[in-house]
Amino acid sequence: MCTFICFLIGCKSYHVNTLHTSCGRLTTDKVLLMKLRKSTGYSFINCKNALEKFNNDITQAEIWLTEQAQREGWIKARRLEGRQAGEGLIGLFTQDRSAVMVEVNSETDFVARNKIFQQLVTNAALTALDHHQNIIDTQGYTKHELSTQDLLKLSMNKGSSLAELLALTIGCLGENLSVRRAVCLTVPPDWLIGTYVHGEVGCAQADIDMGRYGALVVFQGECSLGRKLAQHVVGEAPITLGNMEEQSCSQSETRFLSQTLLWEPSLTVSQFLRQQNAQVFDFMRFQCGEGRA
Amino acid sequence: MAAVVGIRACLSALQLSSPALLHSSYKLCALPLIKRSFAAEAKKVFSRDKPHVNIGTIGHVDHGKTTLTAAITKILAEAGGARYKKYEDIDNAPEEKARGITINASHVEYTTANRHYAHTDCPGHADYVKNMITGTAQLDGCILVVAATDGQMPQTREHLLLARQIGVEHVVVFINKADAVDDKEMLDLVELEIRELLSEFGYDGENTPVIIGSALCALENKQPEIGINAVLKLLEAVDDYVPLPKRELDKPFLLPIEGVYSIPGRGTVVTGTLERGVIKKGDECEFVGHNRSVKSVVTGIEMFHQSLDRAEAGDNLGALVRSLKREDMRRGMVMCKPGSIQPHQKVKAQVYVLSKEEGGRHKPFVTNFMPVMFSLTWDMACRISLPGGKEMVMPGDDTALTLTLRQPMVLEKGQRFTLRDGNKTIGTGLVTEILATSEEDQHNWG
Repeated sequence: MCTFICFLIGCKSYHVNTLHTSCGRLTTDKVLLMKLRKSTGYSFINCKNALEKFNNDITQAEIWLTEQAQREGWIKARRLEGRQAGEGLIGLFTQDRSAVMVEVNSETDFVARNKIFQQLVTNAALTALDHHQNIIDTQGYTKHELSTQDLLKLSMNKGSSLAELLALTIGCLGENLSVRRAVCLTVPPDWLIGTYVHGEVGCAQADIDMGRYGALVVFQGECSLGRKLAQHVVGEAPITLGNMEEQSCSQSETRFLSQTLLWEPSLTVSQFLRQQNAQVFDFMRFQCGEGRA
Repeated sequence: MAAVVGIRACLSALQLSSPALLHSSYKLCALPLIKRSFAAEAKKVFSRDKPHVNIGTIGHVDHGKTTLTAAITKILAEAGGARYKKYEDIDNAPEEKARGITINASHVEYTTANRHYAHTDCPGHADYVKNMITGTAQLDGCILVVAATDGQMPQTREHLLLARQIGVEHVVVFINKADAVDDKEMLDLVELEIRELLSEFGYDGENTPVIIGSALCALENKQPEIGINAVLKLLEAVDDYVPLPKRELDKPFLLPIEGVYSIPGRGTVVTGTLERGVIKKGDECEFVGHNRSVKSVVTGIEMFHQSLDRAEAGDNLGALVRSLKREDMRRGMVMCKPGSIQPHQKVKAQVYVLSKEEGGRHKPFVTNFMPVMFSLTWDMACRISLPGGKEMVMPGDDTALTLTLRQPMVLEKGQRFTLRDGNKTIGTGLVTEILATSEEDQHNWG
C-alpha cells in the first residue's frame, strides 16, 4: 500500500507521467472496470464488486449493477431521509387542454442543475399528468392536487413506481431528494392555460420548463395573455383569486384580481381583464422550497 | 503544551463548581494560572508576515469537505499555524451578512509555512455566487474533494462549472477516504477520471495536483502515510500550485476622489482613500470621470496634516496637484496613473438582487428599469437590460445584466457596485465585461 501511495503523492512535480505510467500499468480488469464505470456511472466500488462477482463478464455485471442500484437506492434513501431538502426545481408541462406542475426537492442547488435530477422532474411531471388524464371523465374544469404520498404511489408507463425511480436517483446522486407536490389541470375546450416558469435552468428535457418558480393561470381570452398573467402571479404572489368588483386598497394586496398589474401599475388586474374582455378562473403558484424552515 | 492543557482542564473544572467557590478559588489559587491562561487564550495579534490567499472547498456533501477542513486545522494547530476546529464547529455554515446580503458560509483560517489562508466552504451554488459578487472572499483557488469510494459524482460537473463561473483558475484535487479502498489501482482510476473531467472543463487536468489520502485518518492519527502526510502534501500542493493574487500595491495607483478643496496660497487638494497602488511626490496623474479628463502632477501628499513622500493603498490622503482649479475636478472622478484607466458607459455585470427579507424590493423588475449605480465615490443613473430569454428579475435572483450609464464613469472589469432605487439598496454587482456603446445607447437618454 505504502509504495503505491508514495508513488502518487510523492512525485512532487505532478507530471504527465503520473497519468501515463498509471495508464500503462493498468491490468485488463481495470480497463473493464473503467469501461463499466463509464457506461453505467455506478460507483467504482460497486463496479469492481460486480466484475469480481461475475469473473469480469461485463454484461452480467451490468445487469447485476442495475438490480443492485435499486436496492442500494432504497438503503441510501432511507439513510438520507432526515436531511433537509430545500432546493430543487419546479417542472411545468402543458399538453392540449391539460397542464401539470411539480416540485421536486434536493439538498443542494448543484444537484438541481444536473441532468439526472432534471430527468426525475420530467418523469414525475409526465407520470402525474398521465395519472390525471386517466381518471378525468368530465368535459368541465378539473384540478387535482397531489401530495408526496400520492405521487410516490403512481407508476410510470414502464411499470416501475415513482418511489422506485426516486430511490434510484437518490442512490445515484447521493443526496436526499423528494417529490414534494404536484397539481394537474384540465380545462374545457373554450378555456386556456397560461404558464410561466422563472429562473429557468438550461435543460434539454422535452418541452418541460424548469425553474425556481412556476405559475399556472386558467383563463378565457386572448391566448397571448396567458404568459403575462402567469408572470404576474410569479412576481406578485397572490394568495386568493378575489372578485372582479373589489378594488385594491393596499400595496400588500393578496387577492389576484385586486392587485395592481405587474407591468402596468396604473391598472388593477380586474380592470385590465375587463379591457381585454378576458376572465380568470383559477391560478396556482409554486415557489421552490417555500414553507420549509 | 502540556502545561496549557493542564490549565484548561483546571479552568473547566472550576467552571463546573459553584460561583462562590469559583470566585474564592480564583482569588486564592488560580490567579497565577489565570494570568498564564489568559496569555494563551488572549486574542492573538494578526501578523501580516505571510501573503494572504483565499481558498475554498467544493465537492459532494458526503465526500468529507468538513472532515478535511477539520484535519487541516488539527495538523496545522500542532505546528502553531491554526486553531483546531472540530468537525462539529465547522459543519454549521452559519448565515452571515455581507453588504446586507445573507450568505451561508463557514470560514476557517490557518497558516502554512509560506502563506496565510482563509478557507471558505458554502453549501450551495447560489452562496458561492453571492460570495463572489459581494467580494467577501474572492477565491484564488479551490480544493475539489472527491471520495475514492464513489469517484466523482454526476454533480461534480456542476461543481466545476461553478468554479469556472466564479473565476477560479486553479483547482487542487483531494481524493478522500483512501482508507476505505483496499485496491490501490482503483485510486488510480479515480484520479484518471477526475483529471479527464478537469480537462473537459478547461482546467489543466494533466498538471493539476491530485493528492490521495484520508482526512479521517489524519483526524484520528491513524495510517500517517494517507492521513497526516497526505494532508501536509495537499497543503504543500496548494502552496505551490495556487499563485499569489496580485498585490494591490503593485498595481497602477487609483484614488477615487471624495472631496476637492482650494487652499489659499497652496493650490488645489483632492482627498480620498487610495484604492490601490502607490503615489509618490512628483508622480504624473490624470483625472477621469464625469466626461472630463485632465492631466497634472502630484506636488505634495499629506496625511493627518503631515507631509509625506509616498502613500500606499489604504491610506486616506490629500494630494496637492499642480495648476488645476477646484472647478476642474469633482467628487466621483478618480485620480490615476495617466492612461491606466478609461471611463466606460456600458458594462455587463453579474448582479445579486436583494430579497425582500434582506431589505430589497418586493417586486420583480423588467428591462428598462432605471436604478442609480454607486461605485467608488460616484453615483450615476443607469438603465438595465435583461439578457436574452429573461423577462423579469425576482428579488433573490442572481443574474447577468447589461447596464448603461447616463454618462461614462470609471468602471473596470472586476469593479464592484451597488444599485439603489429610492432609498432602498436593491442589488450588488460585479462588472464582468466592458461593452462598446452604440448610437442607440446615447439616444435613449433623450
